Amino acid sequence: MKKTNIEEINRNIYDIKNKDEYEYKIKKGLTPEIISEISKQKNDPDWMREFRLKALDVYNSLELPTWGPDLSELNMDEIATYVRPKTNLNSSWDDVPEDIKNTFEQLGIPDAEKKSLAGVGAQYDSEVVYHSMKEELIKQGVIYTDMETAVREYPAMVKAHFMKCVPVYDHKFVALHGAVWSGGSFVYVPKGVKVDIPLQSYFRLNSPESGQFEHTLIIVDEGASLHFIEGCSAPKYNKVNLHAGCVELYVKDNASLRYSTIENWSKNMLNLNTKKAIVGKNAKMEWVSGSFGSKKSMLYPMSILNGEGSKTEFTGISFAGKGQNLDNGFKVVHNAPNTSSVVNAKSISKNGGTCTYRSLVKVSENAKNSKCSVSCESLMLDDISRSDTIPTNIIETDEVEFSHEAKIGKLSDKTIFYLMSRGLSEEDAKAMIVRGFAYPISKELPVEYAVEMNNLINLELQGAIG
Amino acid sequence: MNKTIELNETPIRTSKNFNINNITLQNVPIPEHIENFENVTIINESSNIIINNSIKPYNLSYGLGSFLESQVKENANQTLNILVNGKSNNELIIEFDFDEDNLNLIENIQITAAENAKATIILTYKTIENIQAYHNSILRVKAENNANLNIIVVNLLNNDSYNFISIENELKEKANVHFTMVDFGGKNSITNYYSNLIGEEANNSLDSIYLGAEKQLFDLNYIGELYGKKSNMNIEVQGALKDSATKHFKGTIDFKKGCKKAKGNENESCMLLSDTAKSIALPVLLCSEEDVEGNHATSSGKIGEKELFYIMSRGFELKEARKIMVKAKFNTILENIKNEELKEEIIEQIDKKLD
Repeated sequence: MKKTNIEEINRNIYDIKNKDEYEYKIKKGLTPEIISEISKQKNDPDWMREFRLKALDVYNSLELPTWGPDLSELNMDEIATYVRPKTNLNSSWDDVPEDIKNTFEQLGIPDAEKKSLAGVGAQYDSEVVYHSMKEELIKQGVIYTDMETAVREYPAMVKAHFMKCVPVYDHKFVALHGAVWSGGSFVYVPKGVKVDIPLQSYFRLNSPESGQFEHTLIIVDEGASLHFIEGCSAPKYNKVNLHAGCVELYVKDNASLRYSTIENWSKNMLNLNTKKAIVGKNAKMEWVSGSFGSKKSMLYPMSILNGEGSKTEFTGISFAGKGQNLDNGFKVVHNAPNTSSVVNAKSISKNGGTCTYRSLVKVSENAKNSKCSVSCESLMLDDISRSDTIPTNIIETDEVEFSHEAKIGKLSDKTIFYLMSRGLSEEDAKAMIVRGFAYPISKELPVEYAVEMNNLINLELQGAIG
Repeated sequence: MNKTIELNETPIRTSKNFNINNITLQNVPIPEHIENFENVTIINESSNIIINNSIKPYNLSYGLGSFLESQVKENANQTLNILVNGKSNNELIIEFDFDEDNLNLIENIQITAAENAKATIILTYKTIENIQAYHNSILRVKAENNANLNIIVVNLLNNDSYNFISIENELKEKANVHFTMVDFGGKNSITNYYSNLIGEEANNSLDSIYLGAEKQLFDLNYIGELYGKKSNMNIEVQGALKDSATKHFKGTIDFKKGCKKAKGNENESCMLLSDTAKSIALPVLLCSEEDVEGNHATSSGKIGEKELFYIMSRGFELKEARKIMVKAKFNTILENIKNEELKEEIIEQIDKKLD
């Protein structure tokens, strides 16, 4: 069967550009003056302005990573780090300006809010334009708001947690984030409260040659539970856009948190995002991650299992097509006895795309009787793509059961033959195998996101196999 | 002269924070005056194997780093060029014994197997007196079409010594090179092993065992690059660590474009015999060819309680039971060594180290 090559896939709604209209756009570059101006525009308290300036110093003192995808094309002098859309924060979609509202409607956000979400936040460029949560959760004391409101209204809680889980010294782009962060969500779930229906924040970057630096801070207090969904997309421009968000998650004793992400940034985006969770005693942290977009991505969510008996699971898939270099993975540190982690990572490379699974498992001396199991599988759909697996495993105690397995390979001829003998065309057989390969991930997503992921896979597979 | 050296760089870098891209050794006692090394015994010389001292200069593709490579190029006190021209049924054994008068061995060995040639070559390194030995070696292996080489490298140095080995293999069509490494000795034992599988259906197996005690550090950087169609690389590593010993296993199988139907497997398993031993692994698969099969697996943990209980229920004490378990783990690889005397010596070392 002939392969058809589709140069550029029409990503439908994801690529719809609105006019680059904004209320305020900071000038490009990174200087103390620009940082002070962002702080002024955002009406920061003094401690936050000082924090930003200190983070800028750290940014200037750190090197670019000496590993992973080449980031030399990133020129911060060409990126506007703050773009305020021409609207304030709204709690009704009717108050959101028409063009912005249309974008989110086409992405299905208001509709999903009605059907299956307990609360929604929507960020457009650098600011959150919509935030709302069901009344019953408000009554239970759940806080779900944009980060700026949280800084103003819950200063003690924010100050105690903001960039404590992910310190600005972690790496260069975390320091950058600390200096220019804007938007994002703050969630606090009080002790014992179970939020059964997910909350969702959606991040949309519309403005060209700009960056999005949202900060997500979630505290799930003792015995509470939450499912949080994060979605992101942007239309494609010719010049580089940057996403350097930061997600800090505190899962207190006996609490549980599931954090799901469908990332579908445009293919001119450098996605240098940082996500970390600190997990307390007998608490559980689950990550579900689908990574489809971006030109280059360096994303390694991390669980730090500090509480005895804490658990984490990571289920993730990356799909790299033409021109994409997705360097993704997971990090886990076992810091307490009886902790456990399960990692299930998959990747698909096609049409010249590169997928790398890069990871860290560290089992510290005091993590006696811990268990860790890692499985990673990579599928290559042609011979012009690339797939690498680079896991680091550090085991510092003997009271551990640790195993890591990885496989790289192509679609099985035998399976294709079997499916064709049952009447499927070669192309359908291959598409079915790829969907089956991704199934363990898609089944972990809420149904409408699983459908979205399958659609993305179908979209990405057009012309890639045959 | 004590020197700090950075060495054994991995073929691909990962995060600097993971401290695995290379290794820095402080205060390495680099010998300033390198005397002759006389304690070399060659056993079972055969008419099909010619040994001389003439090696043409060359640069390593990987190796342990420029300092140690230059030391061999400039100051080698043993140079052996081993040419295998036909089929040899005897095992060629070369023993290097370190003592007060033979403290430092800077060695350059080249083994070339001609087309259809076949041989087994055993290299052993032992400290026979209570000394601090220094061993820095380059071993280069070239296997022509259909050649078949079985190479066994045994490091039984004491735990005060320094052991640095760089190995490079080049395998032509249908060449088969089977390496067995027994890595027990050295305060620091640092190995760089690289195989270039350039020929179609070239086949390289590396079976390696290590056993660490006290504060020993093993840094094993094994790399296979598969270029030839239907080429095959298999890395099997079994190890055990007691006391505060540390092991870094860095294994890379790199499927290069065009190596269709190639297969690569790496399996590393580390038995931790104390709660202060450290096992660090970086099992890397790199792939730019679709039609290949690559697998890796690593595992770490202590000896299974059930198995220990079973052995102890048969009347063995805990220490003996542990020895039995370690030897059982190592046994598949030790079976590669047909020389009973050498095998006994290795088993004795296992017993001694686990006492």
